[in-house]
Amino acid sequence: MSGGWCWREVTGAVGSLYVHIPFCARKCGYCDFASWATSVTDGRMGDYVRALRWQLDELAGCGLLEDCRTGYVGGGTPSMLGATRLAGLLRAMRRAAPGMRELTCEGNPDSLTADVIAAAAAAGATRLSIGVQSLDDAELEALGRLHDARQAVGCVRAAVASGLDVSVDLMCAIPDQTNESWASTLAAACDLGVGHISVYPLQLEPGTPLGDRYKDDDPPWNDEGVQADRMEQASGVLCDAGLSRYEVASYALPGRRCLHNMAYWTGVPYVGVGHGAASMLDRGAYHKLRRVATQLPALPGWVQRVRLRMESPWEGIALAPPMNELDFSGELLCEEQALAEDLMLGMRLSRGVGERLVGAATLMFGDEFVRTVDGLERRGLVALTDGGMRPTQTGWLLGNEVFGALWSLAPSSVASL
Amino acid sequence: MTNTNTSHIRNFSIVAHIDHGKSTISDRILELTKTVAARDMTKQLLDSMDIEQERGITIKSNAVRVMYEADDGNEYQFNLIDTPGHVDFTYEVSRSLAACEGAVLVVDATQGVEAQTVSNALLAMNADLDIVPAINKIDLPSAEPERVREEIEEVLAIPADDAVLVSGKTGEGIHDLLESIVYLVSPPEGSATEPVKALILDSYFDAYRGVVAMVRVFDGVVKPGMRMVMMAQNQHFLCEEVGVKRPLEQPLPELLVGEVGYVVTGLKDPGLVHTGDTITLADRPCAEPCPGYHEAKPMVFTGLFPIDNKYYENLRDALEKLKVNDPSLTWQPETSVALGFGFRVGFLGLLHMEVVKERLEREFDLELIATSPSVDYHVYKTDGQMLEVTSPQDLPKPEEIDHIEEPYLKATVIVPPDYVGAVMQLLVDHRGISTDMVYLSEKSVELHFDIPLAELILDFFDQLKSRTKGYASLDYEFDDYRTSDLVKLDILLSGEEVDALSFIVHKDKAYQLGRGLCDKLKGIIPRQQFEVPIQGAIGNKIISRSTVKAHRKDVLAKCYGGDISRKRKLLEKQKEGKKRMKSIGRVEVPQEAFLAVLKVDDE
Repeated sequence: MSGGWCWREVTGAVGSLYVHIPFCARKCGYCDFASWATSVTDGRMGDYVRALRWQLDELAGCGLLEDCRTGYVGGGTPSMLGATRLAGLLRAMRRAAPGMRELTCEGNPDSLTADVIAAAAAAGATRLSIGVQSLDDAELEALGRLHDARQAVGCVRAAVASGLDVSVDLMCAIPDQTNESWASTLAAACDLGVGHISVYPLQLEPGTPLGDRYKDDDPPWNDEGVQADRMEQASGVLCDAGLSRYEVASYALPGRRCLHNMAYWTGVPYVGVGHGAASMLDRGAYHKLRRVATQLPALPGWVQRVRLRMESPWEGIALAPPMNELDFSGELLCEEQALAEDLMLGMRLSRGVGERLVGAATLMFGDEFVRTVDGLERRGLVALTDGGMRPTQTGWLLGNEVFGALWSLAPSSVASL
Repeated sequence: MTNTNTSHIRNFSIVAHIDHGKSTISDRILELTKTVAARDMTKQLLDSMDIEQERGITIKSNAVRVMYEADDGNEYQFNLIDTPGHVDFTYEVSRSLAACEGAVLVVDATQGVEAQTVSNALLAMNADLDIVPAINKIDLPSAEPERVREEIEEVLAIPADDAVLVSGKTGEGIHDLLESIVYLVSPPEGSATEPVKALILDSYFDAYRGVVAMVRVFDGVVKPGMRMVMMAQNQHFLCEEVGVKRPLEQPLPELLVGEVGYVVTGLKDPGLVHTGDTITLADRPCAEPCPGYHEAKPMVFTGLFPIDNKYYENLRDALEKLKVNDPSLTWQPETSVALGFGFRVGFLGLLHMEVVKERLEREFDLELIATSPSVDYHVYKTDGQMLEVTSPQDLPKPEEIDHIEEPYLKATVIVPPDYVGAVMQLLVDHRGISTDMVYLSEKSVELHFDIPLAELILDFFDQLKSRTKGYASLDYEFDDYRTSDLVKLDILLSGEEVDALSFIVHKDKAYQLGRGLCDKLKGIIPRQQFEVPIQGAIGNKIISRSTVKAHRKDVLAKCYGGDISRKRKLLEKQKEGKKRMKSIGRVEVPQEAFLAVLKVDDE
């Protein structure tokens, strides 16, 4: 490590655990995520989950999870697993990381049935994140979702009634959406009694059916002006309802933020299991992981942070290989890159970054940092706070401008594992 | 005693329309004569530049000696002269042909006779060459050798009964082709005792030995140690070495009359050695130089600017290095308010321009902005003075101009009859004047027309190809200068005129082009944090307008399970894009904006 002011302590363990379930009942037209459509009766889902449970035991055994505070089961569609398999997975996560304060499970209204909700709650989930996307039937159909608005409302009400923290995902700038339909989706979502709402503009990705259909023309419903308007509209409606925006896409009632997602934005190490799952590890945590994943190489001395991705296909994982037979890809970040990353991720949060990070960056990047921040401030993208800085309203919507400028402070080429 | 018998020598070129397989046939000949072992064959050996190999085109001329043991039991010396295959390099082709006694005319068995087949055949016939017709690609299922044979006879009036059927791909028929060359191509004539008279076909630069000239010896014998002179340039030098390419250089004690080979001049300035010049003895010159010499004149001009102005010197160095092997390249410094310091570079044609720009970027790692191509306008001022204007910025004020003349071409298009209407419409759109139309056969029509070079260098060729589904072929040559009603169209971004976006256009097309350009730029210039109006203007009059809306949302909201690498990669991509942009005032403008005028007609 290159001297200077260490802005972050090496923990030797992760604060968060992510588990990826790559199964869906149907792949949505916009999705470019690691997921495959299959049926609830597919026995290989059971094999896959059993394999993950063994991996969790291995991770617990090496001490990597001893300070783990949050867990998240994402997908795909974890509720597709059904009550029994999902509960088994959640219990295994609890057992592997007994100190967890928050355990979120994602689900879609068509498979997040009352018994799945009850099983999840009984197995230790504290939070459900539900892929509602819209409360307008025509829009839901255009997105290729399997549920209608009535089903979504029923599902969310059941989840809230179960006593779990509930978050819903909503999408804007989608086909057929109007300012009015968006307003009514937002209003209806606020009436559901949830403590957390996430808002995403639809991203047309090449290689997805929707992305390919519109690759040559900019559809007016996804125009960037429309995206900005809808995001601002959401901010207005949700804040009036008492939620506050704490991150680019996330709104919460007081005390109901997603601690797990906060870990991503604040440089807390995390480990991910399952196909395509991402991990972020400091030297200490990486060293511990190597006790079980012995195929991982030792780190050169300059490496401050490692980002891994589990590359083994889900069919391979379902065969339950031990951790030391899994494929990982990864990136090695030096101290400057880790700090630049913390700055840019921190600026996703409404509160921005504080004195500690800004101080470290001033020491490490010197005048370059001062000039960069100055430029961003002059362009009206960031505002200075007491010793720190935060994104402005414009900087919130043009986040990539801010993130790009901050990331550019570090050497641009990232070494591969 | 030096051998002065030339009966075993055959000097020939292979000529063809682009993509008809000239270089592949050359390669097969090298292979079959064991000049190059099959295992050492990279595809298209004679095209040594990356870009030549990639694009399948020949830019430089090259001459390779091949020894062929013919069926008659004698060994023949073949000098195979590979010529550029593009109309930009007509002069170079004509010099290469002047070095030959024969030409193999290659015609694609699936495509038939095309425009450059005709122009190359005419060049070869005018040079009095013995023509060996060869019909290539007979291995393809769609090959129609009989139809093509008829076409060669009908269109070119070349007896094609003996046309050799070959496949450069499989090697079939190559032996027959070599035998035909022995019998159909005349041996060179000349005298070994006359003073040396050698034609320069091309030259290249060697860092250790200076300029090396490829020559054809018409009279005399060239030996190392001779004091020689290049007649047109009156440049003296000492012949340091002679030899032949096989295809690597092989030094020889002498180059005999009738032979083709290289001469090491030791000269350090490639600008002194000109294709078409004649080498003779300093103290015993030949009576007359080889005919046909003239200096290559640039036809197309463009401004080249490094995106980052601190690479200005690097660009100059790179141009100088390229000029070493490409003496036709010319340039002078140019300053633009928008783009800073750069050069106005002159090229033989559009392909030449593209190739040079690509080499500058690839081989010298330069990030460049090219401005829209221009021609050499002759501007007659009211005070009687004539200015040669190659950059719109240099155009005098309208009140100082009496009239402007622009270069016109005589052009030929060969096309199936069904597309005549489409080509006619294209001519009208591009100020072409149809002069003649000839039915070559039932399946092809030859259209003759005059067209301003300035129109041709926009997107004429691409349009021609797309409107005729690729069937049309084009050939052209410079004709004369004619008076035209031309104006300068300016483009304003956020109210500021951007000099590098200006161009000279015919008055009747200015409005349409101004509108098209504003629309095109709107698609090219990315959204900025503020609205950017784009205006087209002639003088003080705004003729068109469009607006780039303000950038409002650019953030990946979804968190993707903590996959931050994905977000970072997006940022890296955006950063790469920005590097290729030029800040003009507050507006970030991508490279391709400066060539937008080439794309206005694309739909």
